[in-house]
Amino acid sequence: MSRGEKKRGSRGKGGSDMTKFGVILGVVALIGAGWLFWSVRGSVLGTPATGPLLELDLNDAEVYQELAQGITSGDPTGTIGIIEFGDYQCPGCGGFALAVKPQIDLALVQTGRAYFQFFDFPLTNMHPHAFLAARAARCAGDQDLYWEYHQELFRNQSSWSGRQSAVGAFLGYAQGLGLDQDTFEGCVKSDKYADVVTANMSLGQEAGVSGTPTIFIMVKGQGLRPVMRNDFQSIEAAIESALEDLETAGN
Amino acid sequence: MSEDATVLHASPPPMNRMVIAVLAMIGLFVALYLMAHNMGLTGPIVCGVGDCGTVQSSVYAKVGPIPVSAIGVAGYLILLYLAYLGVQPIQRESPLIGAFLFGGSLGGVTFSAYLTYLEAFVIEAWCQYCVISAVVMLLIFLASLPEVPRFIRRAS
Repeated sequence: MSRGEKKRGSRGKGGSDMTKFGVILGVVALIGAGWLFWSVRGSVLGTPATGPLLELDLNDAEVYQELAQGITSGDPTGTIGIIEFGDYQCPGCGGFALAVKPQIDLALVQTGRAYFQFFDFPLTNMHPHAFLAARAARCAGDQDLYWEYHQELFRNQSSWSGRQSAVGAFLGYAQGLGLDQDTFEGCVKSDKYADVVTANMSLGQEAGVSGTPTIFIMVKGQGLRPVMRNDFQSIEAAIESALEDLETAGN
Repeated sequence: MSEDATVLHASPPPMNRMVIAVLAMIGLFVALYLMAHNMGLTGPIVCGVGDCGTVQSSVYAKVGPIPVSAIGVAGYLILLYLAYLGVQPIQRESPLIGAFLFGGSLGGVTFSAYLTYLEAFVIEAWCQYCVISAVVMLLIFLASLPEVPRFIRRAS
């Protein structure tokens, strides 16, 4: 082979290598870009309601009392109710949900002694994701997994709380619980339940809630009684006291 | 065109630099994914194994105000640029690019080793994407080793 042919051969091989290299690099870039877009799509698409509805007249008691609704576990017609006004981004509420609520469920709700009701009270001035979290939990409730999602949000609070956007995390938890992704995503990325959560906030303010978690005992026919401490023993003692008062009143 | 220039242009692109470019592209997307997670743009990091949430929310996930993943993105971008430049006909024999590739990947693999140590002994949790990045960086370092005799030879 002449020197010139050698050079051309080498150049040809070099060109072929460069073509293969370009193709491989391009394919890797395309796969990477696709994977990245798929991962962040939940956050870049849609405009979820993340704060109270300003058009709702917060001063009109009739408006918000009609809209406000808690989520109940147990029999809501029971004599005693344990009412929580809570914020999904509040660490104290996380502690209550993970340490106290399971005891309430086991000893009071499942035994029929009381029902438990959760009202959203997102402290939106300090917790930017709390309102959206409240809505997301209700969206999970549409698929009958409100309490599972409620606990999931509190279990992972430290993971999503500090992020700039929590939408992706909320979609991930829904996926983990086996919720229908499209339905859940459509709900979260709308303003569904923004009115209910806003109304719950107003109801809490009317009830004197200033921080979270705030726990009340609801005695049928007698209204709300605040519980000073949020541990299980205090709640149980407040229930006993309320039942004694009822008995005394009955006599 | 001179005879020397023809010979220079005809030399095949260095295989190790092509490998580095492809690996840096892979590492870049892994680092971009971790950065997107830091910015709250992704869901929880889905881990078959490990605990990325713990690692990513630890104090070691940032160097001052800068997320480690952002440092990774910058590092992989630089390596990708150098490797891509290094396979272009006019730069194939460049000892300077070889030296930068070796030096950069040595810095990268040292930093990765430190982060892996933190995962193993301080945070005591593993993030598989961080492990993937560490493996990619190690492979880049190994692929950069053939550069050493090249720039030593040129220097001497």
